[in-house]
Amino acid sequence: MDVLIQIVASGLTLGAMYAVATIGLSLVYGSLNMLNMAHGAILTLGGYICYAAIVHAGLHPALALLAAALVCALVGLLIYFSAALPLLRAENFETNIFIATIGIGSVIENLMLKGFGPYPIPQPLAVGGQVVIGNVHVPLQNVFILGVAIVLMVAVAILLQRTSTGRAIRATSMNREAAQLMGVRVGRVYAQVLALSGALAAVSGIMISSIATLTPVMGGDPMLKAFIVCVVAGLGNVYGAVIAAIALGLLEAATQYVLGVRWSFATLLLLVILVLIWRPYGLFGKQQVVRL
Amino acid sequence: MAEAALEIVDVSAGYAGRIVLDAIKLSARKGELTAIVGPNGHGKSTLLKAISGLVPVTSGEIRLAGSRIDRLRPDQIVERGVIQVPQGDLLFPAMTVHENLLMGAYANAGGLAERLDFVFALLPKLKERRNQTAGTLSGGERRMCGIGRGLMAGGEVLMLDEPSLGLAPIVIEQIYEVIFNLRREGRTILLVEENAERIAEHADMIHLLDNGRIAWSGLGAELMARPEIVETYLGV
Repeated sequence: MDVLIQIVASGLTLGAMYAVATIGLSLVYGSLNMLNMAHGAILTLGGYICYAAIVHAGLHPALALLAAALVCALVGLLIYFSAALPLLRAENFETNIFIATIGIGSVIENLMLKGFGPYPIPQPLAVGGQVVIGNVHVPLQNVFILGVAIVLMVAVAILLQRTSTGRAIRATSMNREAAQLMGVRVGRVYAQVLALSGALAAVSGIMISSIATLTPVMGGDPMLKAFIVCVVAGLGNVYGAVIAAIALGLLEAATQYVLGVRWSFATLLLLVILVLIWRPYGLFGKQQVVRL
Repeated sequence: MAEAALEIVDVSAGYAGRIVLDAIKLSARKGELTAIVGPNGHGKSTLLKAISGLVPVTSGEIRLAGSRIDRLRPDQIVERGVIQVPQGDLLFPAMTVHENLLMGAYANAGGLAERLDFVFALLPKLKERRNQTAGTLSGGERRMCGIGRGLMAGGEVLMLDEPSLGLAPIVIEQIYEVIFNLRREGRTILLVEENAERIAEHADMIHLLDNGRIAWSGLGAELMARPEIVETYLGV
């Protein structure tokens, strides 16, 4: 029983972090058909901004979190105006933006390397203490991460389901032309989605760095896992991504316990291969027809 | 004669350098039903897309109540009151019928409750299906939902692109009953239809579009009295 509690506690924490990292990626793909390869770098930037805001600027941790979200939202906007908007007007948008965001990610990473150095730094936004469930000691930091992730996911769900802006985002992702005919300014929707994705990435980066450490390249692993979650769920399916993230987090925790840490990533990749063979469009995705 | 709500003056438009519409000139008068008929692939849908700002106008002018709208973005054209119900509905399949109708009012949310009541009174099936996702509706219900969504926008001119396409005859009758009722209520309607016979009796003006040009314009009865035109262009 204790083992199960341990696996569920670790799995839910991992899943919550993956979910927050994935929502933004999925929203951007759903709306713009854009794989944002700078997502990992933005996530890392969020962690560093929070660190700098607390340690160097002396801000309250809550304000530091807000500052990180705001800066990363602005980076999202910058990506829209500097790369996505000009490339949207040209052919082969999906390939071009894929390459462009790899470049942008590399620039952000190198700026962080220059600014903060290559050595790991602990994230000061951390909650001490632990709760005891059965005989298992669960760090309060994990509970905090889970709580923040749930609040964020509920907030995003309310935004998408209950507000006019959210409906416009969903409408644009379902049918761009129809959304335009309803009076949706799709350019504005794209900018909003990239800003929201940036803010979510920042929170995700803070969460991840709070249980590991801050390094300029720390975004690579969570971004890869966020892509795995996206592919398993079906690219662009936000709600499917949340379910897949939690499930993959639990699977990873179970694999780490049963087979060892080195097998966890291999198991995730094996799962992706199986899902792609069984359902090439993902567990919650819709089959797409390509007209030639 | 009623004044023109929408004027298309010598408009040429097309895709990627290929001209589809060649110096089109027509107008939709206030409170009237103006129909555009013609064979498939001769520019009828492109004309509606050009009016909505989805296809660039290369020359000529489009005016709404005297003001040019051909340089505006699609969302600005909707805000001015030119609403299109596109061919094949283009509903948002994962949204409920209610959400689809709310999307119709996205650019003009004033008087939302009254407009919803109006749409549900005109299309009672939509009220029954309001919590059903649009992707699960039948063909006829989807078309009704598309028209309802267009009506939710309010607007000055309602443009309908082949609302009968692919539907069973009995459903087509229901759809056209709704459209003719809207005409009787004084809505300005610009209707694209392949089957001239279906609308000849009710249309205030019919324009025949052939190879991107207006080949003939007149009243419905006049068109049906010209069997050579009907046979050549419409294959009836």
